[in-house]
Amino acid sequence: MPSPTRSRRRGAIVLFAGAIGGCAVALYNYFVPLTGVTGSGGALLVIVSSALVAAAALVLPALAGRAGRVVLRTLAGLGILGTALAGLLLHEGWLVLAMAIALAGLAIDLAQSRAPARRGVAA
Amino acid sequence: MTRAPLALALLAATALPTATLAAPAGYAPETGTVHGAPLPAPTDRPLVPPTATWDSFHGQLNAQKYAPLDQITAANAGQLQKAWEVHTGDVDDGSGGGTETVWSATPIFANDTLYLGTPFYRILALDPGTGRQKWAFDTKSELKPLTQPALKNRGVAYWQAAAPEPGASCQKIVYIGTMDARIFAVDADSGTPCAGFADNGVLDVNRWNTTNARWPLSVLQPPTVVGDHLIFGWAGKDWAYEQAPPGSVFSVDARTGRLEWTYDTLPAGIRDQTGTANVWAGMSVDEAHGLVYLPVSSPSPNYWGGNRTAALPTTTAVTALDLATGRMVWTRQLVHHDIWDYDINSAPTLVDIDVDGQTVPALIQATKMGFLFVLNRLTGEPVWPIEERPVPQGDVPGEVYSATQPFPTRPAPLLDQSAKPEVWWLADLVGFGECSRLFDSLSYEGMYSPPTTTGGGVLAYPDSSGGVQWGGVAVDPVSQTAVVNTSHIVQYLKLFDRETYDRVAGASGAENGYYPQEGAPYGMMLDVARNWLGMPCWKPPFGELVAIDMKTGAVKWRRPIGASQQYGFYMPESWGSPTIGGPAVTKGGVIFIGATIDSKVRAYDLGTGRELWSSIVEAPAVATPAVYDYKGREYVAFVAGGNPIIKDQVGDEVVAYALPQ
Repeated sequence: MPSPTRSRRRGAIVLFAGAIGGCAVALYNYFVPLTGVTGSGGALLVIVSSALVAAAALVLPALAGRAGRVVLRTLAGLGILGTALAGLLLHEGWLVLAMAIALAGLAIDLAQSRAPARRGVAA
Repeated sequence: MTRAPLALALLAATALPTATLAAPAGYAPETGTVHGAPLPAPTDRPLVPPTATWDSFHGQLNAQKYAPLDQITAANAGQLQKAWEVHTGDVDDGSGGGTETVWSATPIFANDTLYLGTPFYRILALDPGTGRQKWAFDTKSELKPLTQPALKNRGVAYWQAAAPEPGASCQKIVYIGTMDARIFAVDADSGTPCAGFADNGVLDVNRWNTTNARWPLSVLQPPTVVGDHLIFGWAGKDWAYEQAPPGSVFSVDARTGRLEWTYDTLPAGIRDQTGTANVWAGMSVDEAHGLVYLPVSSPSPNYWGGNRTAALPTTTAVTALDLATGRMVWTRQLVHHDIWDYDINSAPTLVDIDVDGQTVPALIQATKMGFLFVLNRLTGEPVWPIEERPVPQGDVPGEVYSATQPFPTRPAPLLDQSAKPEVWWLADLVGFGECSRLFDSLSYEGMYSPPTTTGGGVLAYPDSSGGVQWGGVAVDPVSQTAVVNTSHIVQYLKLFDRETYDRVAGASGAENGYYPQEGAPYGMMLDVARNWLGMPCWKPPFGELVAIDMKTGAVKWRRPIGASQQYGFYMPESWGSPTIGGPAVTKGGVIFIGATIDSKVRAYDLGTGRELWSSIVEAPAVATPAVYDYKGREYVAFVAGGNPIIKDQVGDEVVAYALPQ
């Protein structure tokens, strides 16, 4: 049976994987010729935004305060949705997929953060 | 362009202009066709080459841009693959202190070779099947923006002797023009200069620059080669001077460079007080009737005409010359007293069309205004009526206004220039009402609304980049279907008296959308109508591809073309894209075209307009593609060079596509 800590980290790990994958896709599209967005400001923007989501995934498990976690999850969610929308407009399909994974990670993280509290109330 | 002109224009907005539909103001336009020399005796040369030909800028001398090839069809175009790709290295984005490049060359296929000119004024000879370089020739031309804001090239021209002598050099010649007004001739097999042409292979065109010689006569458009004649015009600098070099077209012997004739577009008495009306775009040729057709631009300066108040019927016109003598056979003015920079900017497309049971030797002249003028190419008379209609009159002191302008009744205009374009709600929302405020400050009573000094100025739609640009119209001569790409761009324009101009534009002039028209009493400001984010203030689509049945003049289909792109973000394809560069059509029922902001090249179904295929290239492909057959395989080749008019992205890529082997 996984420890509670590892269980809480599972969501952050998926979130990080999606974000870092998105960052890699964004880097590829920015630097490789003939992607359609090579060297563009939009492609640079999603490199930064996906990197910030990845950073949020690293910070999230270590964050102690509930309020801080809520704020960070909210910002990460907005970052994911914004990056996915940008990916759609940049015609970066793999980036959209990566953001879908990141969003799933955030959802897992959110669900697991609520699960122990509910058990606590039931007890 | 920056936002400074918009801000200044809004600050200056005090009252709406007073343009009205008024009585003539002392200017009597020459309407209809003006006739000159007799029609040369006809020969039996066919209008459409009997075999696939792409040995000139528009593919063929008739400018149809038609390939009678059917290996690639609407059914299999989706399978097209990149056959080869070449990067010339001749590119500069201007960021390192150099001059930006603009590359609009259509490759030409001749002598079993693909020939290209580059914006560094080199000629490249490539293997048509692999892209391997056979030879290169460097003109070592000065790489400075002497007349244009960027280094420009639209390709090369090719000539060969009627009966080439085996083993002798320069029986086949490739020519390239330069911004510093020279034409180089090199042997098509080896790339070595042809010493017998002019001065050791170099013709100094600027020797004929004798009136208002403010800048060199830049030869950016490849010469037109017909028989042993090399016929060419030249390009200059827009909006800078009241008096500029007057338009002229030269014919020289293709072997020797010896001058055969000169055609002056302006009468002798007025050349020194105005200028241009030059022929900077391609020409077309009816070999059977011995006629070369010129798209003639507007006189100087572009947005004020008080220095040229007499009728000048050979300006902003399409003109037919006897190609042997240079004598004008007929000319038809398409804009009277042009004060909108509505240069006739593409070669007329020649095609025989069946109208009301009769075969008419026609030409189709596309225009910046979005009109297609369809004329009998032997007489210059309209195939369908062209009406002289009243247009708004202005109030700028010293200016005269034509009371009427010619409106073709068929085909219908490619875009609606009769009513003020509507503000696009999305751009207005993002701009917090910026677009509405701008449009409210601008006058517009149709495209011939005159430039003004009052209010925020006048809305310019279509603007000076079109409508239709130098790619012109492609035609399938079998189905008699014309294909043309358009741009829908809104600009705004205001004239300033000299004192005000010097104050608002600064002493340097020609910056931030201000252009001096030096010597004239008015300088000007010109800018694109955008919000703070760069979004167009007018409603999409921003560009379309249109097919027209030339038997009736009716639109067969029209659709947005490509996608606009800003900061890398693609807009919905239903919004389309402004376009530069023309289409090519094939017997296989396929239209090939680049031309769009999104740096894609595409194939469309000629019958339906359905998109069949696309591929990303390095920069917008702002040239007409070339379609050719080499060793039994059909290729379509694009040059992806870019043009800052539509996007700040340049390239040096030549890419050819073909079906898998």
